Amino acid sequence: MTIPADLKYTKEHEWVRIDGDTATFGITDHAQEALGDIVFVELPEIGRTLEAGEAYAVVESVKAVSDVYAPVAGDVVEVNEALEGEPELVNTDPYGAGWIARVTIGEGAAELMSDDEYTTFLEE
Amino acid sequence: MRFLPHTDSDRRAMLDTIGVSGIGDLFADIPSEFHIEKGSLAIADALPEAGIVRKFTRAAEQNRNATNTRYFLGGGTYHHFVPAVVDYVISRGEFLTAYTPYQPEISQGTLQALFEFQTMIARLTGMDVSNASMYEAATATAEAALMARRVTRKSRVVMAGSVNPRYRAVTANYLSRLDGEYTQVDMGAFGTDLDRVIAAIDAQTACVIVQYPDFYGSVYDLAELRAACDAAKCLMVVAFSDISAFALIESPGAMGADIAVGSGQSLGIPMGFGGPHLGLFTCKQKYVRQLPGRVCGMTTDVNGKRGFVLTLSTREQHIRREKATSNICSNQGLMCTAAATYMTLMGDAGLATVARHSAAALHSLVSRLPAHVTAATGARYNETVLSFVDHAARQRFLAAASADDIFAGIPLEQIEAGVEARHLLVATTEMVEESDISDYLAALEVSL
Amino acid sequence: MSADTTFKYSATAGIQHEEPLLFEHAHEAPSSISLPGVDGEISDALNHFARKDAAGIPGLSEPEAVRHFVRMSQWNHGIETGFYPLGSCTMKYNPRVNEQVVRLPGLAHIHPDQPEATAQGVLALLYELQGWLGEIAGLPYVTLQPAAGAHGELAGLMMIRAALDARGDTHRRKVLVPDSAHGTNPASAALCGMHTVELKSGADGRIDLDELKAHLDADTAALMMTNPNTAGAFESDIKEICRLVHEAGALVYGDGANLNALVGVARPGDMGIDCLHINVHKTFSTPHGGGGPGGGPVAVNETLAPFLPVPRIEKQGDTYVLLQHADTSVGPVLGSVGQIGVLLRAHAYISAFGRQHLHSIAEDAVLNANYVLRRLQGRYHVPFPGLCKHECLLTDEVQERHGVKTLDIAKRLIDLGFHPMTVYFPLIVHGAMLIEPTETESRETLDAFCDAMLDIADVCEAGDTDILHEAPVKPFRRRLDETQAARKPVLVWPA
Repeated sequence: MTIPADLKYTKEHEWVRIDGDTATFGITDHAQEALGDIVFVELPEIGRTLEAGEAYAVVESVKAVSDVYAPVAGDVVEVNEALEGEPELVNTDPYGAGWIARVTIGEGAAELMSDDEYTTFLEE
Repeated sequence: MRFLPHTDSDRRAMLDTIGVSGIGDLFADIPSEFHIEKGSLAIADALPEAGIVRKFTRAAEQNRNATNTRYFLGGGTYHHFVPAVVDYVISRGEFLTAYTPYQPEISQGTLQALFEFQTMIARLTGMDVSNASMYEAATATAEAALMARRVTRKSRVVMAGSVNPRYRAVTANYLSRLDGEYTQVDMGAFGTDLDRVIAAIDAQTACVIVQYPDFYGSVYDLAELRAACDAAKCLMVVAFSDISAFALIESPGAMGADIAVGSGQSLGIPMGFGGPHLGLFTCKQKYVRQLPGRVCGMTTDVNGKRGFVLTLSTREQHIRREKATSNICSNQGLMCTAAATYMTLMGDAGLATVARHSAAALHSLVSRLPAHVTAATGARYNETVLSFVDHAARQRFLAAASADDIFAGIPLEQIEAGVEARHLLVATTEMVEESDISDYLAALEVSL
Repeated sequence: MSADTTFKYSATAGIQHEEPLLFEHAHEAPSSISLPGVDGEISDALNHFARKDAAGIPGLSEPEAVRHFVRMSQWNHGIETGFYPLGSCTMKYNPRVNEQVVRLPGLAHIHPDQPEATAQGVLALLYELQGWLGEIAGLPYVTLQPAAGAHGELAGLMMIRAALDARGDTHRRKVLVPDSAHGTNPASAALCGMHTVELKSGADGRIDLDELKAHLDADTAALMMTNPNTAGAFESDIKEICRLVHEAGALVYGDGANLNALVGVARPGDMGIDCLHINVHKTFSTPHGGGGPGGGPVAVNETLAPFLPVPRIEKQGDTYVLLQHADTSVGPVLGSVGQIGVLLRAHAYISAFGRQHLHSIAEDAVLNANYVLRRLQGRYHVPFPGLCKHECLLTDEVQERHGVKTLDIAKRLIDLGFHPMTVYFPLIVHGAMLIEPTETESRETLDAFCDAMLDIADVCEAGDTDILHEAPVKPFRRRLDETQAARKPVLVWPA
């Protein structure tokens, strides 16, 4: 199980990469493994304004479905359209090609953890 | 009791294995105050098989039926021909007594039949995809409204007043406990006035529901409605009562429907006093993840052989619970197999003949009506409204027809409350012969 | 494994025919049906709308069509083929006489809108069935209209909501649902404009009274409960549960999916349930047909009776009538009176047992489930020990130590000739296996099934588990790729 050091994490097993005033969202390796083979990702509309902690996407496996929550507030500027044809990217590369959405950062954030804190959280 | 295999000694031995002294001990967890005395319920005494047959036969004989009379009744249920093979196939225990195909390895028969059903229904309606059925047409219409609300994230539903009143009533009922507006557009005559429907569309509208052919049998062009729906970014939902029409006239898909729903009862399913029938639900490919109900999809097994499974299950109640696209679980699976068998026996040519004969019978009838009876104008498939000068004239006719074993039509007010009691909703199928029409016309004459 | 299992485990790799899709048959067959009717002109007005391209329905000749579907049928397991112990589904034998009588012309070929005077026979049977269902439920007022269990839930919740609204409780929109409930319960509540709150089950798998009390409040409309519950256990606190709910001003909805445990023995209405749907395709033997049609009549008490859907079947003097309108009714939930053919089969099943023998349905069903439980406990983990009712719940906890999961056990049962039990439901235990044998299975069949389960347990302990992971190997198709099906859904054959 990988937990990259340059990302922040939520208790709902999302990750966020903050890069200046933009943030990229995805779900963690742990989350994709728990869900199993991802068969569909419902992406948010571009331009949608998200509150921190708001459900913005839905990730589905054959027999499970999970809402995905925004780690920080922001306006959606880009979504990973590759997931429409290849949702399995979330399984194979959750921190890279399996990213879900990109936002320009707004006001507010969920409770975020460092990689070490997330590792500890998973162990608990 | 003939359905229970155990002998008393079996029961004794099984109780011994369990380690209790009597059957009663197995119910000890039910508080004693709720135990009822055996044989105390007010239910008829047990009947042997012969007694059941006799009782049902006597009851059946109190009903007049379509096999030895002439039916001109429609309104959503039609007396089409049912080939013997259809009933044979759905009587086979492997189809009849199987559960929902949750274990695909031992359910490929049901699943392939569903896949063929979905394909043929999509082709006949001109739509991209079909699900594996809803209960019947009225609930399918309600589910279409709910799906349109999910797809558009808008909540207002516009319903043409020329949709079958029962579909309208069930849809309005389903929507009445949810947020959002429901608007019914009243029609001036026995047909569909698209200008009135289009005028009712606004920016909050999730969908417009029309019926084609409509409740009164009217066939009309939906192009203007399609354009209006595009302009308002709402969905066009097309309902239908007798799917046999689409072997003869342009399909809902060709007319631009986003969702098409209706009854498949005409496809080899007897009228059965109203059920079980078959609810059909079709839509454009891009909306599949918002479909209600089960769907069957194609895949491969571990050896790479083609097979079929129930798929897109995350939409359904057993996984998504309160966020499911519908609460439906049991569907009309066996009726899908019946419809698939029927369509296989018919093919394009047979279906076209059914439709042509159904329409030709109506044309023959309305083109020879006496002057004191008028038929609704415009293009009609196999159903129309006949109007009499007054209630008494219609009742005289119904009595005369009935005496000649003709069920001449449904008094319109029986389905559509509030209309004058002098109209008849009349339907024809390929089961109507030229001589039946002559007798019908003769009854009209004598009842003048 | 015992020495000779030739006849005990019935599945063999017998001849099964491959059969292409209808659309793949090589030749284009003309329609083989000769059709009656008027071979005349259609109107010009209608001709204007003529379909331009044929739909593309490939017809087969009658002998080819029969073979096509008969071959496909042989890929199915049905209750007539073998044991079908799906928990919460009540897969019992479907009597053939029921199939015979519903096909009588006077029942099959009658129109729902023909004059009532010409349909008195069918109305009489339906009216009688209404009375019997009310009597069995202990809730005398019945609608036959709902088309299935979930549809009955919707109708029942509509009535509950209407009754609450009628007494001014328009704010009550919360429905309490145990976490062991069928998924239809919360889905039906949502469709009825209500929201659900999940009750965590107690350590014994039953409703926890403290948990219930903590969630009952002035916004609560109803508790939806299944009794016996989906773990197969009777809710022995039923009287107190109903008292608490009523005291809080709410009503109790009974999910009748498990009525087979009680029929003729005890009545939900007597226990305080206000409203119960009855799955006639479970309790009263109407065939499942590969997914339906079902029937979900709803029985209610006096409080809810004014709100029953329309049309209603009533008797006025010696005449049966369909009452189309009632001011307080929640309205129609279906476009017809109900799934008549299904309901008539239920009538025939009840008729066969009658007043004298009805209780033996529940007695033998409960006997069979406890027998299976007794034979398997000790080798399989039983999460909630004690008596069960008509079904018993096991888990894969013991076998998982050997790397074998519920799914593997289920698939191995297929190779041994049995339909698997319900798997991974209820959700309150890990790796659930819910077994419902029903009253129509013989001791011989139950023993063969139990032996098969014990053989599987032996295989796990012996560590030779490949045969489980690879299962099933005997059917016509092996494990199917559900991920591929869901990722790129192919729902119709290409044109």
